[in-house]
Amino acid sequence: MEDTRSGAIVYQQGLCSACGVCEVMCSLWHEGMVGPAFARSNILRDPFTAKHRHITCPQCDDPACYFVCPSKDKALCIDKATGVIYINEGACNGCGLCVDACPFDPSRIKLHAVKKVAFKCDLCMGRKEGPLCVEHCPFQALILPKDK
Amino acid sequence: MGEQFGWAGTILFIDLSNGRITRVPTTEYRPEEFMGGVGLNTKIFWELECPEVKAFHPNNPIIISAGPLTGTYGPFGRGLISTISPQCYPLELFAYSSFGGRFASELKFAGYDTIVILGRSEKPVYLSIQDEEVRIKRADKVWGMDTFLAQQTLLADEVDASILVIGPAGENLSRIAIILNETNFAAGQGGFGAVMGSKNLKAIAVKGTSSVKVARPYESLPLIKMMIEENKKVEDWVGRFRGPYTTPKETQEIFARNYYVKQIGCYGCPRQCVSIHHIPEIGLSGAKCGDWQWAPMFCSAPKDIWEANVLMQKLGLNSFDITCGIPVLLYRAHKAGVLSTKEIEEDIGFPAPQWLGGQATDHQFLSVFFHKVANGEIPYSQGTPRFTDYFKERLSNGKGLMNLQKELYTARGYAYHHMEDLGSALHWATDTRNPIGSSHEYRYPFRDPSPEVMEHFGFPPYSSYQIRDLTKTSYEKVEIVTKWVQEHQCLKNSLTLCEFWTDLSNFYHPPEMDIRIFESSIFSAITGINMNPEQLAHTGERIWNLRRAVMVRRENRTREDDTLNEPYFEKSITCPGGVSRGLQNGPIDRVKFERLKDKYYELRGWDVKTGRPTRGKLEELGLKEVANKLTSLGKLP
Repeated sequence: MEDTRSGAIVYQQGLCSACGVCEVMCSLWHEGMVGPAFARSNILRDPFTAKHRHITCPQCDDPACYFVCPSKDKALCIDKATGVIYINEGACNGCGLCVDACPFDPSRIKLHAVKKVAFKCDLCMGRKEGPLCVEHCPFQALILPKDK
Repeated sequence: MGEQFGWAGTILFIDLSNGRITRVPTTEYRPEEFMGGVGLNTKIFWELECPEVKAFHPNNPIIISAGPLTGTYGPFGRGLISTISPQCYPLELFAYSSFGGRFASELKFAGYDTIVILGRSEKPVYLSIQDEEVRIKRADKVWGMDTFLAQQTLLADEVDASILVIGPAGENLSRIAIILNETNFAAGQGGFGAVMGSKNLKAIAVKGTSSVKVARPYESLPLIKMMIEENKKVEDWVGRFRGPYTTPKETQEIFARNYYVKQIGCYGCPRQCVSIHHIPEIGLSGAKCGDWQWAPMFCSAPKDIWEANVLMQKLGLNSFDITCGIPVLLYRAHKAGVLSTKEIEEDIGFPAPQWLGGQATDHQFLSVFFHKVANGEIPYSQGTPRFTDYFKERLSNGKGLMNLQKELYTARGYAYHHMEDLGSALHWATDTRNPIGSSHEYRYPFRDPSPEVMEHFGFPPYSSYQIRDLTKTSYEKVEIVTKWVQEHQCLKNSLTLCEFWTDLSNFYHPPEMDIRIFESSIFSAITGINMNPEQLAHTGERIWNLRRAVMVRRENRTREDDTLNEPYFEKSITCPGGVSRGLQNGPIDRVKFERLKDKYYELRGWDVKTGRPTRGKLEELGLKEVANKLTSLGKLP
């Protein structure tokens, strides 16, 4: 049987230049404007060691954000076929419980400053070319491995 | 308020003397006519009445602008700084310098197109900008620190900010002090770090959580994609800057194998043209182009080369001037018998390395020399022309040394860069700063014989080799190239667009990738304001004319000032590095050069006698108020 699981974005720190193209493309595609604060995929930079960090949702198998959502399966949902955890903006009331529940620091879910809803990486769900950040990364520092 | 695309929409004025912070809508400065970067900076400077003060006077504004394209996807990450330059020699002129990195994009994300800094703080301070929150904070704990440590220290409070900072050189008012972002993105020309130092301003930290709006991303993205694809088809000449490309192969291999880490570059740009290298006991820094070229001029061991690079960045020194300047001058003076090793060591106070006839190691020389400059020790810290002036009476053959200085330096006091052809000579004569450093168009489109490129842009179809060989070239039609390059330079520095990616020989076909059409389509897609290539060219001309108007108003610029240093009219001068560059088989013919200037002023619609813009030209460019002002000052021909 074909494995339909999404997998997660893998970050190769040694290749990352922190150019921010992932942030730019993500915010532009999903929000129609450019700004790291509106990107679901962020780079935390350290120009003095060149060891940057990639901050995005790893699509947990046991997602605390999902279980804490008061409107789960309406606002915070899991795609049955792929396991991708995504947010349905229309159903989200911006309570922020999922933001706090995320076990990572900083949280991989953010609150949208304009729309007042939670938003997170959903691997560009529905985009047939796959995640934009992976497609546009100039150094293939972001990859979405097919074999899991 | 309607939605604004491209521009952030606000200009921030900060007066360090009284702590006043003011916000002005960018629209008050007619951004559609002046764009951003150097255009907007010059417009703001004009509205500030072009203060006739010295560079270190509190009334000298530091104006820092991003451009309407900055922050979006593509090679648009540069910021431009304009201020009265302490490096210009002998007069301190209003000049500009650009820098890459993340700062300019972050400024846009914080909601600002421009920061204007006025006045002078009593105590050392830094600016903290986080969206609407703008604060002038005490900088006692970072004052005196090198540029790297100061940024790292500030980052503890200014989380994830992008920081412009000065090093000891700027604090100590060295006229070749830079303003730095991260480890290597510098506004290097002009000595602007010292202007920050004179204001007791150590750093500017910016963090933004807003966004830049793009009007038609579905139009802009395919263009950037095409730009990337087309770039793959041509020679990657930026790629060779990944290591010390002027050194022997073994040295290059040591760097590639042992020290290379990865690439970095401007925010949002897919090219990432700067390479990071790391030697644990020395440090980690980015380097590119000139960084690799200058240090090897007086060091040969890989570790010395890298130490020189890192030290220049940390101390906040202009690597171009500090290596192409005083050391070259000393070397040539020594070689010509003007200066003995003893004089160098005793009178001038450097431990002379082997290439100056002494015993000192390269490391000993560079660490003493760099620190003397960064510590503000006069005359070293004042840049090469002033260094030479200081010694001219004392040196045994001062006159000879002065001539050497003039060969190495241009009329405005900038170290020699390429002067490849007559067009760049004319450009050099009519600009305020080192124009080649800001306009690689003079270097690269004509690098290899490519009459095709020249013809495409409507330039005389001479090949580059003919152009730089004065016995084979012609003074005919050179003014056409100079005028175009100057205006295009203004446009690129205002949009802002990368200087390195846009060399014309790689940017003229297919039709969408003709640089003029590309600029027009990308500007229109991002800002939603449709401008055709002619309108953009007109904008470039407007900005160049406004720059000239500033020169006329503030510096009384006339035709007589548009000149080269005398030796260029007396003999053949080649690049100090001994590279086969520069004009060949000189000198430049003085009479023909003056005739070329006539044609240049005519083509510009300026007064040939004074070299000043006319009312007709200024009004045609929408600069009527500029013409009126010049008339009231009696400075319009």
